Amino acid sequence: MNWSTIKYFLREARISLARNRLLSLATATTVSICIFILGMAILLFMNSGELIEKLESDVEIVAFLDEDLTLRERNQLEERLKKHPGVLSVSFVSRDKALASLEKKLGQGEYDLLATLEGNNPLPDSFRIKGENPRQVEQLAKELAGMQGISKLRYGQEVVRQLFAATRWVRIISVFIVVFLGAAAVFLVATTIRLTIFSRRKEIYIMKLVGATNRFIRAPFFLEGIALAGAGTVFALICLYLGYHYLLENIQPALAFLPLINDDRVLLNLFLGLGGAGIGLGIIGTFISVNRFLNV
Amino acid sequence: MYNVSKTYPNGVKALVDVTLKIERGEFVFLMGHSGAGKSTFIKLLMREELPTRGQIFVASRSVLRMKASDIPLLRRSIGVVFQDFKLLENKTVRENVAFAMQVVGASPSQIKTRVEETIRMVGLQGKEESFPSQLSGGEQQRVGIARAIVNHPLIVIADEPTGNLDVETSWEIMDLLSEINRKGTTVIMATHAQDIVRRMHKRVVYLEKGKVVSDSVGEIA
Repeated sequence: MNWSTIKYFLREARISLARNRLLSLATATTVSICIFILGMAILLFMNSGELIEKLESDVEIVAFLDEDLTLRERNQLEERLKKHPGVLSVSFVSRDKALASLEKKLGQGEYDLLATLEGNNPLPDSFRIKGENPRQVEQLAKELAGMQGISKLRYGQEVVRQLFAATRWVRIISVFIVVFLGAAAVFLVATTIRLTIFSRRKEIYIMKLVGATNRFIRAPFFLEGIALAGAGTVFALICLYLGYHYLLENIQPALAFLPLINDDRVLLNLFLGLGGAGIGLGIIGTFISVNRFLNV
Repeated sequence: MYNVSKTYPNGVKALVDVTLKIERGEFVFLMGHSGAGKSTFIKLLMREELPTRGQIFVASRSVLRMKASDIPLLRRSIGVVFQDFKLLENKTVRENVAFAMQVVGASPSQIKTRVEETIRMVGLQGKEESFPSQLSGGEQQRVGIARAIVNHPLIVIADEPTGNLDVETSWEIMDLLSEINRKGTTVIMATHAQDIVRRMHKRVVYLEKGKVVSDSVGEIA
């Protein structure tokens, strides 16, 4: 294939894009919206994944101890907990310390909680236990619950479970939207290409008669499809990039506990993937039309 | 072409058991009423259609057993001229002729020299930059012929090339086709024009209802 052939392909693709301007615009826009939403959904997954991980690592089991436990019994219990498979770390929180931290949470020393409680600290001593695998906290808690000296166990699994459920729904809905829009994009690309094929059928017939290869006849259509999808994708990626950066710069400081992904390499990979997906839509759309309507 | 039959899906029997051999360098008229099978004959040679039965060889290669990827090569060895010219209206004379070379991947320098040469041969010097709509019917048909021969085909098929032209212009086109034939190219021409056929005194194959009813030199059944 020589340079003049490539120039010929490019010229043909350009001419037919200009000829069906409105439809071309609609096609590029649909691809654009599709890729934009796909990108947003993926960013949402990635960030919610990050958030879950952070929350999970915060999850710990609080084991409240029996009131009448002696120091020796307590130490023995701590040893046993530390040796239990799946336990990462164990730390002791005395009842006084627990009260102090509660006081701090409530009013940062503005009033004397102990005095209000008439000198009786109702809180028990406790161990804070971290598991090796945050996802198995529930299981671990069940295993530890029967141990002698432990009166009650608590863990923050509920939060994590709800978050999991929420992100699953986000995921399912996004997949539906993306699949639907992807199909719409493929359909529109296919329609655009089909119109081009119709408007050029005489030319195509002559090309066939003088012995152009199928590949030669198809090439301009593929270029056209790729150009349409490419333009839409590039536009979507620019919007996505600007939008996400706006989020990082303006929202992140206000919501510091939200760990937003800001790793250039991760984001670059995401953008490359989305770019590939966009071009893929163009190629699939073109392929459908070329095979159905270009009888070469 | 051996025992070739072609029945279209709608049941029309376009060709019935036709056996025909055309030698290299021959000039053959294909005659018959509309619907006698002339167009089908041409479509089979171009492998636009496949025969229902029989074998077809072009330049000793079977058209039937040809791989799909070889069809373009077959078509490059055949140049076609149409009654309605089938030129691209938005391209100039030069571009219309060059187009045929472009699509087979010729180099720009090859295209330039061959196109010049061919346009001169069909007598259209000075009209290179005109668009088809600015040309007379005869001139348009010359462009069609130039496009058909620019790739040096072995065979030129002309489907009623004079059907839309007046008598005088028709003879100019016939002279051109004769000249192409003299240079060694096989010419197969489908036509209704009896006076042309008589005066050319070439082989005439007469088709009627899909059958060859006569095959002789200079005579019309």
